Amino acid sequence: MSFISLVSVEFMKIKRSRILFILLAATIILWLPSILNVHLNFGMQAEGISPENNFFIQGFMAMSWFMFPASMVVGTVLLNQTERMNKGIIKMLALPIHSMKLCLAKFMVLLALAAAQILMMAGMYYGSAAVCSAAQDYNFILPPVFVAKEMGLLFLSAIPMTAFFYMLSVSIQTPIFSVGIGLASIVPSVLIINTKLWFAYPMSYPFFVITSEYGKLAANLDTAQITLIPWIPVAIAVTLITLFISCIRFGQAERRE
Amino acid sequence: MSVFLEFKKAKRTGLLAAYIAGGMLAAAVPVVNMAVRSEMYLTRQGNPVSILFHANWQMMAMLNILLVTSGTCLLYHIEYADNAIQKVKSLPIWESSVFFGKALLTIMMSAAALAIEAGAIAFCSCYWMEIGKDFWMELCKSFGYAFGLLLPCMILSLLIAQICRNMWVSLGIGVVCTFTATMLPTDRFMPSLFPFAMPFQIFADADRSQIIAFITAAAAELAILVLAELLLLRIRRWFE
Repeated sequence: MSFISLVSVEFMKIKRSRILFILLAATIILWLPSILNVHLNFGMQAEGISPENNFFIQGFMAMSWFMFPASMVVGTVLLNQTERMNKGIIKMLALPIHSMKLCLAKFMVLLALAAAQILMMAGMYYGSAAVCSAAQDYNFILPPVFVAKEMGLLFLSAIPMTAFFYMLSVSIQTPIFSVGIGLASIVPSVLIINTKLWFAYPMSYPFFVITSEYGKLAANLDTAQITLIPWIPVAIAVTLITLFISCIRFGQAERRE
Repeated sequence: MSVFLEFKKAKRTGLLAAYIAGGMLAAAVPVVNMAVRSEMYLTRQGNPVSILFHANWQMMAMLNILLVTSGTCLLYHIEYADNAIQKVKSLPIWESSVFFGKALLTIMMSAAALAIEAGAIAFCSCYWMEIGKDFWMELCKSFGYAFGLLLPCMILSLLIAQICRNMWVSLGIGVVCTFTATMLPTDRFMPSLFPFAMPFQIFADADRSQIIAFITAAAAELAILVLAELLLLRIRRWFE
């Protein structure tokens, strides 16, 4: 079985999971207050940021701080429980396929969920920007190339974090700990981005990337900027190590039974 | 009776350990904050409880809400995972008593978590600041208030966990509700009445009338949620 067909099988498994509704609900709740408080964007000139940029980046910041990482934790619960609920994992492990491939196929689905939520976020952004532009008689819509760049940055920076959450859900059998550690680890990311060791904490990457973009857009605001070294090597190492541990631990508890 | 039964069921799920660990994590917030940048808070005027709550409660409350949400999801997940709920339904007990047993267990464990946090606030006050004569009273009142306002959040998330058979759906809804609560302004009364937003309220320096209003609102929400639970079970029986 090729890797692509394995991934498509994984997609079929979550077809009726209603996860997309949860991801969508989060994005709707994200943009509603922005539409209601759109006039506040005009008061941000002191920071040297244009209203349309402020509207966009504030939404993305709110999302990347808590909801986006938390959605990924929910995604790991989904991937895990669909297999464990009716012992589907036993059947999976009995197939003549390398378990590493199965593990990575599931991770691909998780990344696809991340991408789906970012796409929904952008879709909702354009919808709400259009509504605000009409209501305020001011153009809030940003060029798609710029939005796509921010989306890509957010997605790439979320890969190590997603791999870490995936490792937690695969390696820890009791769901309360994998979920609890995952959710609890998101909360301090606000503090960690202000420290020098932010690069060692993958859960803070998406928020840090978006806040540093905010700093770039706001001329008078001096937010910490990303330093590619040692961030990129550390991020790659975190991703590889966590995925490696996930692959080793995948189905290990079930094989022992 | 049923609370002991629920405790037995939850014993091997690690729930108790999770609540203690969650309480300790939230308790670590003020300790770390004071250890790293105590000079920011030592110059402020006011009583220690008020200073520490304003500096740390946002994050501590969020950790509490996440702890309660994931804990309640797990409490119903153990029933749904291997269809144990069917056996529960065939027992000669009210189905609602299972819910209230779980609710009581959540309430007790959350109280334990809050007690750990209260210990941390007391430690920070004694170690870094000077405590006045009414310090302990203020501490008890603050945490009693926090506990009271966390109750609707507990019952609502337990209700969500009961409605959804799949853990990711109930957890997803819980997380979305928590996210909504973080977006709501805490200084406005009506938005703060959302059960997931209420635990962010602080007792210290709040008006007496405001405190009474929040306590009344929490009691009313509890009554509505309990009624909703009883009604929901009836309705669900008709469709099964």
